[in-house]
Amino acid sequence: MAEIFIDNKRYEFEGQTKVLQFILDQGLELPFFCYHPSLSIPANCRQCYVEAGQPVLNRETGEYELDDNGERVIRFFPKLMTACSLDATDGMVIKTHVTSELVRRGQKDILEFILINHPLDCPICDQAGECPLQIQTYKYGPEGSRFEHKKVHKPKRIQLGPRVVLDAERCINCTRCVRFTEEISKSNQLTISQRGDHNYPITAPGTEFDDPYSINTVDICPVGALTSTDFRFKARVWEMSSTPSIDITNAKGCAVDIWTRDNLVMRITPRYNPHVNDYWMPDAGREAYKIYNENRISRPEMVVNKDSIKTSWNNALLTISEKLTGAETGKTLVFASAYASVEDNYAIQQFFARFANTTVIYVPDIKPGTGDDFLITDDQAPNSSGCKLLGINEVDADQAKGMIDSGTYETLVILQEDLVGRGIASTESLTQYFSVYLGTNNNSTSRSASVTIPITTAAEHFGSYVNVDGRIQRTLPAKETLYTDRRLDLQMSMGRLDHYGTRFDNWVSDNNKIDCIPAWEFLVRLSHEMNLEFRYNEAREIIDEIALKNSSFAGISYERMDRELGIALQDQPSKELNPA
Amino acid sequence: MSLTDWKAYKPVLIPNIKDYHKIDVYEKHGGYGALKKILADQDTLTPQHVTETVKNAGLRGRGGAGFNTGLKWSFMPKPDGGPRYIAANGDESEPGTFKDRVIFEFNPHTFIEGSIIAAYAMSITTVYVYIRGEYRSWIRMMEKAVSDAYERGYLGQNILKSGFSVDMVLHSGAGAYICGEESSLMESLEGKRGYPRVKPPFPAQKGLWGRPTTINNIESLANVPLIFNNGADWYKGTGAATHPGPLLYGISGHVNRPGVYEYPTGMLVTDLINEVAMGVRGGKRVKALIPGGSSTPPLRGDALDGVRMDSDSLRQAGSMLGTAGMCILDEDTDMVDYLWRVSHFYHHESCGQCTPCREGTGWLEKTLLKIKAGDGTMRDLDLLLDLCTQMEGRTICALADAAAWPVRYTITRFRDEFEARVKNTVYALS
Repeated sequence: MAEIFIDNKRYEFEGQTKVLQFILDQGLELPFFCYHPSLSIPANCRQCYVEAGQPVLNRETGEYELDDNGERVIRFFPKLMTACSLDATDGMVIKTHVTSELVRRGQKDILEFILINHPLDCPICDQAGECPLQIQTYKYGPEGSRFEHKKVHKPKRIQLGPRVVLDAERCINCTRCVRFTEEISKSNQLTISQRGDHNYPITAPGTEFDDPYSINTVDICPVGALTSTDFRFKARVWEMSSTPSIDITNAKGCAVDIWTRDNLVMRITPRYNPHVNDYWMPDAGREAYKIYNENRISRPEMVVNKDSIKTSWNNALLTISEKLTGAETGKTLVFASAYASVEDNYAIQQFFARFANTTVIYVPDIKPGTGDDFLITDDQAPNSSGCKLLGINEVDADQAKGMIDSGTYETLVILQEDLVGRGIASTESLTQYFSVYLGTNNNSTSRSASVTIPITTAAEHFGSYVNVDGRIQRTLPAKETLYTDRRLDLQMSMGRLDHYGTRFDNWVSDNNKIDCIPAWEFLVRLSHEMNLEFRYNEAREIIDEIALKNSSFAGISYERMDRELGIALQDQPSKELNPA
Repeated sequence: MSLTDWKAYKPVLIPNIKDYHKIDVYEKHGGYGALKKILADQDTLTPQHVTETVKNAGLRGRGGAGFNTGLKWSFMPKPDGGPRYIAANGDESEPGTFKDRVIFEFNPHTFIEGSIIAAYAMSITTVYVYIRGEYRSWIRMMEKAVSDAYERGYLGQNILKSGFSVDMVLHSGAGAYICGEESSLMESLEGKRGYPRVKPPFPAQKGLWGRPTTINNIESLANVPLIFNNGADWYKGTGAATHPGPLLYGISGHVNRPGVYEYPTGMLVTDLINEVAMGVRGGKRVKALIPGGSSTPPLRGDALDGVRMDSDSLRQAGSMLGTAGMCILDEDTDMVDYLWRVSHFYHHESCGQCTPCREGTGWLEKTLLKIKAGDGTMRDLDLLLDLCTQMEGRTICALADAAAWPVRYTITRFRDEFEARVKNTVYALS
């Protein structure tokens, strides 16, 4: 196997690799800005300098030449090399800043150059705290600057597109954003304009940066030059906690991190998952913070004398259990949902299996033509594949409408699905029924339902979702509800403020906790009320049961999903869900 | 021809013939003869043979780097049926360099003929000619010459019924010095922003549109027919032994008769200044000589004796041949002013791709501007030299070196002038 020596330590490698990528793969450190594993290599920031040398081969014997001490003779390149563009070769010797004074000097020189025209407005910059330039300057940069002239001034606060703002002065011209639009999103909307130290990225005149993946450029920007219109000036990085989760706004299920502060979702950023989304996610998925934060149903609601009023959980449970107990056999129509997790769908399926002749259906939400061949799917819901694999009856919107209008049923139980909003039911038709809506957000269905039960969103519960390619991934609670506490639940992430914050801090309060519970937990409570044998203590028990009972889900567990970045289920759901 | 009787030298690149740029006149004086000879006898004069001949003649590139042209051609991989290209580099934009435009104006057909021979030698069917955008009239001259060559059947399909075809495409630059760098020239030809590419891969492996490409200077290609007309031995025997051939000297600055002159390589600098260019204006002394375009280190006027215009002699003297665009500065020149103007050029022309050049060129200029205004300190001089160290050899292309060398060598060789302009400042030891 080929060998390479990095700072006097021997490593082995196979195949072709660039030195920088190899160093990073070993968990070693080398500063860099322009390099990105998924993009082409421009080697323009010149930050990843190393000294590189190759052993001298004897031309006749093909053996390594040895010096007097028996060590290999190494011929070093006369210049500092950029590790990002340097191919690793057998026997190569690399000296990084750890062992080479020249490399340390080179890295310091580059940082000094980068900083001379950088505004250094870190105190008001969104990137501060997660800024590669800031971090690497502290680690490898010069102590001060010898630059005693006026900095170059460039345009600031340019609205590049609906979702991205540019501050050209902060830009260090790494061209990651330009390469992203050329190579990943292929919209080619950005280019570098001007020349020399006046360079900055911009769209062509008269066009705007409305790429459906535009905010990814904000993530990969190594400085605060590109910021998200939405998130700009909303929160400092160190005030937030991040929780791994997935995107629930379409069927691709991009891996994301949910960033919360005081139980509000501040932003959603993509998390690396080579099997699904690499480093990217669609802009639409980042808007999901609105679903998590805004217009939430908190506390159960009931219609009393045609007025919707807040009521107690007990009251709601009693009312529903009375109705269900009294409901005639075969007269309950249950809507499972492609918008809800596998656990919730399974729970509602199993719960109503106890009532003879109850019909459980789900209605996939597919809008043909809205997807692309990248990360946006025609399927609007995150879990159609999951519902299918659970064996829930799939009906289309017209059939479902027919069932509601047929008058066959007396009771409707609706999980999460906005039937009125999707045109499957009308406000009038719903009022014909005793209807229970288990939902997260206020909508026209929740307003028409007889009883509305607030349930948790993907940002508040443990739940798994099966994406369009049949990969099951799970979410972790990022926000607390009124009934969860991140200090007690070891599985919830805790940022600095969560750990050490007190009520005297600005960002620690109970204000943003929603009074809601997971749908399965509600069904468990309902079963207590109705004296049914239906017991689960946590979502994990449900997924373990599914793994045992349903062959499609055989062998899955939360641990495996975490460790393997989701599990590709054996039984691939049919391609009809996303006709490509 | 030896170098002592240079006065008897008869120009061959820009011969003293009226209307030589017209295809009739060119043909009458044996023009396209080398091409005809090669295409008529393709069995003995195979592409490999042609390449070898050019290599053995010792033709070294006239664009500045001075690399053996035939050797460069031999780097091209074997034809695989896909397209391959020649990009002829006529983007001469360096201050002090103006030789290619003389070829465009007075002898375009030698260049065209040379390009066709080069295309034949490398089995290439498309030649791109990249001409500096500011050369509006010269582009028009070339358009005329190329269309004449097409008309006479020297370009296009089945040239002279030999079965060999070449197309020549003229391409105008848009006013960027950086596009004279070979890889950004290719980017520019592809319609992209003129950013130099990271090497490897080299153009011979992955050039224009990812296909094998050879980039040659206009003057280098114009030299090719001479080798076949007069023989490789004649070529090798002309001028300096290690750097032979006729050379276009572009002489500018404070001389009585500036202009482009053709003489063999290896001419004495003093001969060129005092006899060819008829001495320094007003009989003054030479303070500095920039031998090959603004990026080459300036030589002190009192150290020019015996220096010859070939790469070896100039390297010994502490500079480079570059493009042989000589700029003479007389004793009244303010070297601070001169250096600021050169730095201003490189600051303006840096493409801004890599950090050291993007930021360094601006810093150099700003510091020199400060010294020029009389606000500089001794510390600034050391800073300038430090910045040069931080830029040299640290970028993708050589523009950072081109910007740093004049600064480094002007300051070290004319330090007294710089010290006289800065304030003597005392800094507290801390």
